[in-house]
Amino acid sequence: MAETGLAAPAARTVRMPSAWAGLVRSSVQVALTYRGRMVLWVLSGFFPLLLMAVWLTVVDESGPPAGWTTGDFLSYYAAAAVMWHLSGQHVVWEWDADLRSGDLSTRLLRPMHPFGQYAAGDLGHRLVLLTGLLPALALATVVVPGLDYDLTPARAALTLAAVVLAYALSLLMASTVALVGFWSTQTTNLWMLWWGIGSFCSGWVAPLELMPSWLQQVARVLPFWATLGFPVELLSGRLAPGEVAAGFGVGLAWTAAFAGLYVLGWRHGIRRFQAVAG
Amino acid sequence: MTTHEVATDRRLGGWRRYVHILGVCWRAAVAQQLEYRADLLAKTLMSAFWLAWAAIGVSVYFRFTGDIGGWSYGGVLVVVGMFFAVNGARQAFLEPNLSLMHDYVRRGTLDHVLTQPVDSQLLVSLRHVGMHNLVDPLLGLVLVVVGVGVTGTVPTAGDVTASALLFVAALALLYALVLALMSLAVLLVGGDELGTVSFSVVELSRFPVQAYRQPLQTLLVVVPVAFLTTLPASALLGRLDPVWLLVSPVVAAAAVAAASLGWRRVLRRYTGASA
Repeated sequence: MAETGLAAPAARTVRMPSAWAGLVRSSVQVALTYRGRMVLWVLSGFFPLLLMAVWLTVVDESGPPAGWTTGDFLSYYAAAAVMWHLSGQHVVWEWDADLRSGDLSTRLLRPMHPFGQYAAGDLGHRLVLLTGLLPALALATVVVPGLDYDLTPARAALTLAAVVLAYALSLLMASTVALVGFWSTQTTNLWMLWWGIGSFCSGWVAPLELMPSWLQQVARVLPFWATLGFPVELLSGRLAPGEVAAGFGVGLAWTAAFAGLYVLGWRHGIRRFQAVAG
Repeated sequence: MTTHEVATDRRLGGWRRYVHILGVCWRAAVAQQLEYRADLLAKTLMSAFWLAWAAIGVSVYFRFTGDIGGWSYGGVLVVVGMFFAVNGARQAFLEPNLSLMHDYVRRGTLDHVLTQPVDSQLLVSLRHVGMHNLVDPLLGLVLVVVGVGVTGTVPTAGDVTASALLFVAALALLYALVLALMSLAVLLVGGDELGTVSFSVVELSRFPVQAYRQPLQTLLVVVPVAFLTTLPASALLGRLDPVWLLVSPVVAAAAVAAASLGWRRVLRRYTGASA
């Protein structure tokens, strides 16, 4: 943020770690206040389970597609349903609303770059959801026959790292697209288009292994798989060591790329910003 | 509505008066939203994109099987098209009104609605219309035609009529559900997330119910998801058990009557918020 010139002078007077901690804590409290809303929101994320239900019918009627058994689908989609709630994409809507209403002006006056404010606000919600959903997933592995991750400590640690990477990447990707709001009013549509195309590569439409092989190859180098399919398949133990390394490599490279794009976009975009209101 | 217009529609009787009032409300809503033309165009393109997304998305299943629960790819496309039509109608006609209900109750606007010389159910449930999704039913219809083409069957005039009848019954059923949710919003004084319920019910109808295993399949007939898309699509493909032609309209009519009665009951208990 020091490079923006806008928020820079005040920024030096605030100790960043404590400001982050405070913002995350406050967003945790907001999330906890609206518990009912969170529960409904989790329930509305049943779409992966719907896709899973159809796959289970396919397994029943025509045998396991590409060797994927009922247990494989259960494990994949249960984890995918959890991962869906750990995406950082919600910041796109916040950016869009603030750019339209002019509330971004208020954020610019605060001694922290807006990216940090949005990210900290989102992170609290993710943490609350994670503390609810992780035990639910653990319970599901006990209750549902066939749903099992057979987790080793090493793979658990790697999965945790992949989840953090997935969140960081999706947050940076969404924030970068959100900057388009400085030039256009169609940010949310653009994000939906981006996400929609990416969903064929991310493992959302179907596990990547079940996609045509040309699409699989393209998807391995695009940023989408690292945000969803990679941590899920890592947890399920479907990936060879080489694939794990490649997954982390591609994810980290895209995270760095979007960080760079974000900084660049912010520098050019903020110059165009004319407060609408405040 | 101006005094003049109220005077005009008092002279009209019965349902023609309702149609006239809805016409006035919808013209105003459409005129307002037509001011944002670029946005409207973008939303229309997005609708077309999601339609293609859904059609390509389900094709992945058919890389591994010829049919799911007796439905071929073409048949599933017909269901997806029906889903877009139903969902588009929900988003255009029902959702804008349901999302306002929470505010009506909390801020006392409902009191104002009740004092107007028009049936309150009509005003709260159908007054607003969202332009953004008006094109969705048409896009859905295109996919229905494409799906029928893929299956290679040629529907008879009887199939088309039966399908249209079941589709109207589906819309009526959905209307009843939304009206019931509105009554619930009055009872609960709030409930701004009730829209999630109607969204979820429609979302479940994205696939034919036979694509799910038991007991979910039977459950989705009881929770009337099957009525929304599976039945109209089956009729069009000439594979419907004719008994549903009787059951579906009766269920829909009963649901609308029950929801309408529920709305009146709830209003009798409503004590007002603004007074």
